[in-house]
Amino acid sequence: MKRSLVLAVMLMTAFVTSQAGTISGKVSGVAGESVVYVEAPAGKTFPAPTQQPVIDQKGLMFQPHITTVQAGTTVQFLNSDSVAHNVFWPSVGGNKKLTHNLGTWPKGEKRPFKFENPGAVPLLCNVHPEMSGYVVVSPTPYFAVSDKSGEYKIENVPDGSYTVTAWHEGAKNQSKPVAVAGDTKADFTLSK
Amino acid sequence: MSAWRRVSFFCAFVVTIMLLTGSTYAIPAFSRQYGTSCTTCHIDFPKLNDFGKAFKDAGFKFPKDDETFIKVPPVMLGAPAQKDMWPHVIFPGTIPGMPQIGLRFNQFFQYTGSSANKYYSGQVLPGTTPGQLLTPTIPNTDFEAGFFSIFMAGNFGSDIAFWVDDDLSVAGLNANGELGDGYLRFVNVGRFFKLPTDSLTLRVGQFELDLPFTQARSINISPYDIYTQANFGASNQNVNNVIQLADAAHGVEFSGGHQYGGYHYSVAVVDQSTSGTSAGNPANVPTPTGGQIGVPGVGFVSDTNYKDIYARFSYRFNLEKDPASRHDVQAAGATGPRDHTYLSLGTFYYEGRSNQHFTGYASDGVTPAVISAREPFYRVGGDFSFNYRNFNLFGLYMYGHDHDLVLNSAIVPTGFIPGAAVTFNGGFLEADYLVLPWVMTIMRWDRVQSTADFLSGAASGNYFSPAGSTRDRFTPGVQFLIHPNIKASFEYQYRPQQALYYSSSGQTVEPFRTNVATGALEFVY
Repeated sequence: MKRSLVLAVMLMTAFVTSQAGTISGKVSGVAGESVVYVEAPAGKTFPAPTQQPVIDQKGLMFQPHITTVQAGTTVQFLNSDSVAHNVFWPSVGGNKKLTHNLGTWPKGEKRPFKFENPGAVPLLCNVHPEMSGYVVVSPTPYFAVSDKSGEYKIENVPDGSYTVTAWHEGAKNQSKPVAVAGDTKADFTLSK
Repeated sequence: MSAWRRVSFFCAFVVTIMLLTGSTYAIPAFSRQYGTSCTTCHIDFPKLNDFGKAFKDAGFKFPKDDETFIKVPPVMLGAPAQKDMWPHVIFPGTIPGMPQIGLRFNQFFQYTGSSANKYYSGQVLPGTTPGQLLTPTIPNTDFEAGFFSIFMAGNFGSDIAFWVDDDLSVAGLNANGELGDGYLRFVNVGRFFKLPTDSLTLRVGQFELDLPFTQARSINISPYDIYTQANFGASNQNVNNVIQLADAAHGVEFSGGHQYGGYHYSVAVVDQSTSGTSAGNPANVPTPTGGQIGVPGVGFVSDTNYKDIYARFSYRFNLEKDPASRHDVQAAGATGPRDHTYLSLGTFYYEGRSNQHFTGYASDGVTPAVISAREPFYRVGGDFSFNYRNFNLFGLYMYGHDHDLVLNSAIVPTGFIPGAAVTFNGGFLEADYLVLPWVMTIMRWDRVQSTADFLSGAASGNYFSPAGSTRDRFTPGVQFLIHPNIKASFEYQYRPQQALYYSSSGQTVEPFRTNVATGALEFVY
């Protein structure tokens, strides 16, 4: 009986492990943080998270500079400056038809926006052209931000075949097919 | 052609070239200090937007929460706790964390219509053999080096602002320039007297008067004619007033209010800008840095205790419907903050005395004598500015009046008797339209009416022989920011008619215009 129980636990552990692998690797060719995310398999949808990250406009800067969210996430844009800003983006994932202007609002107030379309969203300010920020919208909940050396790790990715994309500010995206089976390696080399 | 006329023409041409290189400044040091773009404060630098006006009003700092925007922290000149020991004074204060220095260089290319040389056509060079003709001296095309300038501006904390701009080089190899503005500005000193915020600010030093529209920091290549209009009487008059409204003045200025909405005033008490003795004249004591009396040094340039007064008052009506937006520094728009839609109305008044010294001998023919004519004068005018989005229409009218004191005797004068006043009037109207954030189009009309200039055959500023009392100039222009700190500017001056000959009935013979096309290239860093 005891032997049977141990065997069952081992089999279950092996099953679970095989269902939730990791993708890790390194993004090279660029310096600083990169974002790596898993593209959505055809026909697969994911529930939108309820958490609403905040992007602040403070000291004439977007803080944090890069925010990564899952598609469907509502982002709160806060203005902590005593000067007025204007948040807009000229495109989403390079699609200029998705340009949007959030307008201007007073210090201390927030303005929400729900990002439905995946891709990188360059945040700009009409008034202060030096202000720059990014929202990287991942189509799946499987994404990670690399450390400054480029190392990243995406956890809890179900086994299967995916397309994985690496994004870095100012560099060309790179996508590659990755077959996830347990711990899987995927390195990227980006160029400007 | 008389010698003085030839000289005046030459001087006018030189002055024209010099004025064409009028000072324009943006402050890259602020970009560095705050890590922000030029467009935070400027529309087509150096023209200020509403935020830039507020930044300047506040003493070259952000109107609110300045410290949160500074990317280069200031250097404390003492521990903050020192202030506990001296709570009512500004000690220890700060200095900017980086040198607030900016540099600027510009250069010009000018095309002048060949009609300019009609001035010399058929003219006899005075003092030479009759029949010897002057050759044309104004080239059709001309490259001119402009200014290489250094400027510094910033805030020492505790609302003390400073500004110094100096031209290291002016239009020539190793040429010497001169100080433009150099002053300290004590912002909101009214707080010491419990006056409303920003109702009293003090400025001390050398500065451009609080003109309705700045000349020193204008975007135009050529200056406003009315700003460079001196007032010289005709031959039977004794007015020789060199003051021009665009001149920098030495003195103190009290001001208050804001340039971006509501009231604004200023009252300046400045040195008489007339015939002061030269700074290097050894007879002009004291010599504060020049050593002992009799040794050339740096002396005070004014030769009189009399001070001129300049006053200005304006009120700007911000026309936004939303009260919060109307009272804010900038209006809130669908695509971000922008300059208000506004109508500004203002008036200004300058009063002074023009000094003229006459040296000679008393009736005994031996005793040296000096008599001085102190001729009161004033300049008065009004101005308006209307702004809608990227379109700005503004104008100014000014009337100038100089009392005339003529010698009471042509042989041995002992004093003066009143003569006919010498007056002039004029102004300008300008429309600026920012087509793109980096393209500015300009249309301008300048007018000056001066009968004395016409009768004298020589006008101050840009013209040497006006064909009539009225001088109109139309100046379209376009400017491109080919880089945020590099600007290419072009303007065409359709200038007033000039004439050398008059028929027996007084009609001009062969009038001509010295139209000029000018291109300028400048950068600041």
